[in-house]
Amino acid sequence: MDLSGKNYKAFIERQEALKKQYSPANAEKQHSKGKLTARERINLLFDSGSFEEIDTFVTPAQQTVEFGKLERTYGDGVIVGHGKINGRLVFAYSQDFTVMGGSLGLVHAKKIAKIQEMALKMGAPIIGMMDSGGARIQEGVASLSGYAAIFHNIINSSGIIPQLCVIMGPAAGGAVYSPALSDFVFMVNRTSYMFVTGPNVVKEVLNEEISSEELGGAEVHGRKSGVAHMIYEDEENTIMALKKFLAYLPSNNVENPPVHTDDGSTPDINEKLRDIVPDDPNKAYDVKDVINLIIDRNSFFETAELYAPNLVTGFARLKGKTIGIVANQPKVLAGVLDIDSSTKGARFIRFCDAFNIPILTLEDVPGFLPGKDQEHSGIIRHGAKLLFAYSEASVPRITVILRKAYGGAFIVMNSKSLGGDFSFAWPTAEIAVMGPDGAVAILYRRELAESKNPAELKKELVKKYRDKIANPFIADELGYIDEVIDPAVTRKKIISAFSALSNKWVKVPARKHGNMPL
Amino acid sequence: MNDEKPEIKKLYALSSENRRFTFSLPLKNTIRIGKRSYAVTLKSDEKFGTYILLKNRKYPVEVVRSRQNRYEILFNDISYTFTIETPFSLKRLKVLRSYSGKAESEVIKAPMPGKIIDVLVREGAAVLRGEPLLILEAMKMQNEIQSPVNGHITRVMAKSGTNVMKDDVLIEIKVG
Amino acid sequence: MKIKRLLIANRGEIAVRIISTAREMKIETVVVRNANEPDAMYVSLADIVFDNTEDPEEIPVFLNIGRLIEIAIETKCDAVHPGYGFLAENAYFAQKCIENKIIFIGPSPDAIYKMGNKTIARELAMKQGIPMATGSRGNIGNEEEAAAAAELIGYPVIIKAASGGGGRGMRIVRKPEELEKMFLIASKEAEKAFNDPSVFIEKYIENPKHIEFQILGDTKGNIVHLGERECSIQRKHQKLLEEAPSSALDDNLRELMGSMAVRMARAVGYYSAGTVEFLLDSDRNFYFMEMNTRIQVEHPVTEMITGIDLIEQQIRVASGEALAFRQKDVRIKGWSIECRINAEDVQAGFAPDPGKIEKLVLPSDPYVRTDTGVRAGSAIVSSYDSMIAKLIITGTDRKDAIRKCKLALDKVWIKGVKTTLPFFRMLVRNPVFIDGTFTTAFIEKQLDKYYLNSEYEEMLAAWLATRLFVDENLRRDSISIDYENGKEMSPWLLNKRINQF
Repeated sequence: MDLSGKNYKAFIERQEALKKQYSPANAEKQHSKGKLTARERINLLFDSGSFEEIDTFVTPAQQTVEFGKLERTYGDGVIVGHGKINGRLVFAYSQDFTVMGGSLGLVHAKKIAKIQEMALKMGAPIIGMMDSGGARIQEGVASLSGYAAIFHNIINSSGIIPQLCVIMGPAAGGAVYSPALSDFVFMVNRTSYMFVTGPNVVKEVLNEEISSEELGGAEVHGRKSGVAHMIYEDEENTIMALKKFLAYLPSNNVENPPVHTDDGSTPDINEKLRDIVPDDPNKAYDVKDVINLIIDRNSFFETAELYAPNLVTGFARLKGKTIGIVANQPKVLAGVLDIDSSTKGARFIRFCDAFNIPILTLEDVPGFLPGKDQEHSGIIRHGAKLLFAYSEASVPRITVILRKAYGGAFIVMNSKSLGGDFSFAWPTAEIAVMGPDGAVAILYRRELAESKNPAELKKELVKKYRDKIANPFIADELGYIDEVIDPAVTRKKIISAFSALSNKWVKVPARKHGNMPL
Repeated sequence: MNDEKPEIKKLYALSSENRRFTFSLPLKNTIRIGKRSYAVTLKSDEKFGTYILLKNRKYPVEVVRSRQNRYEILFNDISYTFTIETPFSLKRLKVLRSYSGKAESEVIKAPMPGKIIDVLVREGAAVLRGEPLLILEAMKMQNEIQSPVNGHITRVMAKSGTNVMKDDVLIEIKVG
Repeated sequence: MKIKRLLIANRGEIAVRIISTAREMKIETVVVRNANEPDAMYVSLADIVFDNTEDPEEIPVFLNIGRLIEIAIETKCDAVHPGYGFLAENAYFAQKCIENKIIFIGPSPDAIYKMGNKTIARELAMKQGIPMATGSRGNIGNEEEAAAAAELIGYPVIIKAASGGGGRGMRIVRKPEELEKMFLIASKEAEKAFNDPSVFIEKYIENPKHIEFQILGDTKGNIVHLGERECSIQRKHQKLLEEAPSSALDDNLRELMGSMAVRMARAVGYYSAGTVEFLLDSDRNFYFMEMNTRIQVEHPVTEMITGIDLIEQQIRVASGEALAFRQKDVRIKGWSIECRINAEDVQAGFAPDPGKIEKLVLPSDPYVRTDTGVRAGSAIVSSYDSMIAKLIITGTDRKDAIRKCKLALDKVWIKGVKTTLPFFRMLVRNPVFIDGTFTTAFIEKQLDKYYLNSEYEEMLAAWLATRLFVDENLRRDSISIDYENGKEMSPWLLNKRINQF
């Protein structure tokens, strides 16, 4: 840059100093751990040349202090700014582990808060890429307040703009609340972890040795705690997935989600759908086979795949338009609802509701998981969350009952009386208060006790029950199901139904907020 | 400071036996065999299904499954599994490999008592996270037990048709 | 008595095979449609279909003697062809057919019974002076008898089931310490597989070749042999590839073994088609093993080199006709190789790979014959065998046959299930196979891999994977989004949304 004149000298000097700070040696600090630098992540995420950084040259709040020495570094450990992702305005912050370990100090927090406020003002999504050692001990309460401000902003924006969080390094102690409060969390396997209390303290207090990975690695949060929704093996795949994911979402809660071009390769009518549900009611099938046949080709993006796999949640497209899918998965735990799946489903539904994403429910649920574990841990309250979330949702809601729909679970899974807009059923549907075995045992208790061949009689009665009481035609004739449909035309039916519902608007009751069971 | 986008210039396809194939980007529809380049086309028709055309010969091909950057391809009746890595992710793999001294092993235990209906994998098979390992029937329900990790099956203790108790060890997987 | 209508008590490729010959002979065919494969190819080729799909099938229909007889009577069939497997070697079934005045296309129930019991067969062979491996006389009752017999015969020995084969109830014992354990295992297995725990013990011949002779006889006492088949390419006692003739036999040996085979058949008054199995050791000594009283899977290779349609001969003999030729009229010309293409995964140790055949294209060159019971759209179900097709290649000599095999194998196109094609493509290029010196130990002991690794095929697969990755993630247009469309909504809705906050 050949700009002579003393006004530009300081400008150029600072640029040089920044370049020096971000030398290849600096990058190597991250690379040698298999991690990308904060800038590289930003560059991968945003469309080429579209990222505008702000507050690049801020310096830490405290230059001299009693404990430890602070360097005169630029940026205070985080890069913030805005840019375009696939042509759309998005705000982001990316913590920089190479600068003071990415620790959060006053200025670092202020930068993030600034970008959050901007995102809210512009009605654009915000993405946080976390890679930080946590609160900067030297700055004491200022760090903690910094966090609080960030969390407060997330909460203020919650349900107004999509907030996504990517964990690409440590996120410990207070830092974990950013992901916890965000809409969706992406996590990179093996080079990132999250926990409230780290292994050191665990060792001290409980005398238990546990590694960071075992305590709060991606596996743990993807499979067990459900805090992380999407797990990837490396950073590049994570960022590419994030971009794909974002393309399903609207920029804010007033807009509709963006519409994609549908290549038309999914047939509206597909006879293969008739073969998916097995004749044997105790045999399982993969509900994702159903999903893949009715949505636009390759458009299913599953969320929280490893957590509560008995309920499948994710986004998909129908003729290019985003929908959210909630489906019972018969091949895991026979598709029952339990605590984990209820909370997983409830959160997903509320996100869809907040952001105008219509919901498709595919139902095949024999009930709730029985047992002391579930009851004592509060399946009552947690199941109620799912009920509340469905009932409260004012986006278009369609249900297709594939097979079983018994009792409380039938009610919970978006039944018409909960405000579901359309309810379809396949001919294989069984809608009843109780499954045939249980019902027959109760209704015909005496006959079975007196019978000479109870097993034979039970078989007969179960068949009669299935034919006479549990079949979907009764529900259809009574008006609790809108239509029993040929599975082959499912896609056609739901597209037409969603189309009719595209202008749906329901007035939400005037109140501060409901008292959802938590 | 608006830097150069790290343009990915090459991609590596790593086979499950650690063979590495390098492809420069943008990806051309050609392959180098020996000193010459040949055109490769992916086609599909009613009679033959999907196939690859090379040197006037058709090869049947099927994408068996794909997950993130991992692809299982059935080519001319042989299955190959590849992960597609960028230069950076390749370096990352090396770094991660140097970390774990011992090969991590994941033990799959029965989550509840029941009967093994079907064992879907055999020793040596590669599995991807989320893939089904076996079907356990418990409480009159069919339960699919999925692999929690990417790896290879080292031992299959579960036998189809047998009853198991909670926490019985069913399968051992070597991670990675 | 002339057969006008024939019930085929079988399915798959053999049913199709029998229909083909019956059609040429202008005989009507009746088949049984069952619930496991209601849309099978054989169903659409027969003249009359008996629909048995409503039958709950506690016993599979092809094993249900009563049911099959019922069907034959109801459909007014003159005869029944049992094919291979199922009830083909069930003397009781043959007897029941005869009792119900239905011609059984096969030998007499007596011959089936005698040859079906390996101990009786051995006894007969011994009486006829047919060379065989030293073995126990009669069945072995317990461990002590087993040990004594083994001592007498000399280790290594093999314990075999009296009532069946295919590897079940069979155990090789090399050391006296293992005998008791193996005896118990073999008996249990035999009981489970054949409902008869009886076993006998024979000297185990190391690494033999498996050579079998095709026998054909009529009810007038004329019995001929149609040459041998080389069946040493086996894995776990399942044949994978068969040839006719065998490169291990010269004319003299062929004549000698052939005459022994005929002698064995004559000892039970055999008629119809049958196969006498021998083991051939490295010193060219041959030993009678057993006789199979049915048409075999690999019969086509014999048909190709003799020009004789064996199914046709079976039907003629069953109608009471005399064979139109004598031994001296049987000429062998050319060389034939059969590859059994199964729906199995060679990378997983030949584990069955059931599924639906999406595409099937078989070569139609003049040197290729394909016997198959499936077509595009057929399902390979786990309740039946995993056979897709038999590829039978005929050449002027062995070298020519192998050359044509290579060509034919590359023309087979099957999609939807994994097949054993990679195995055959490797086999026809393997030096041991090419020089013909392989024994029954070849596949299991001398091969460490069942397919060839082609580097450039792997590279093509890698290219495809990379192509998919690029298309899904790196292309500029992999995400084509219309943001404006999302912003366009009816004023009614927009108004409501904005006002609600």
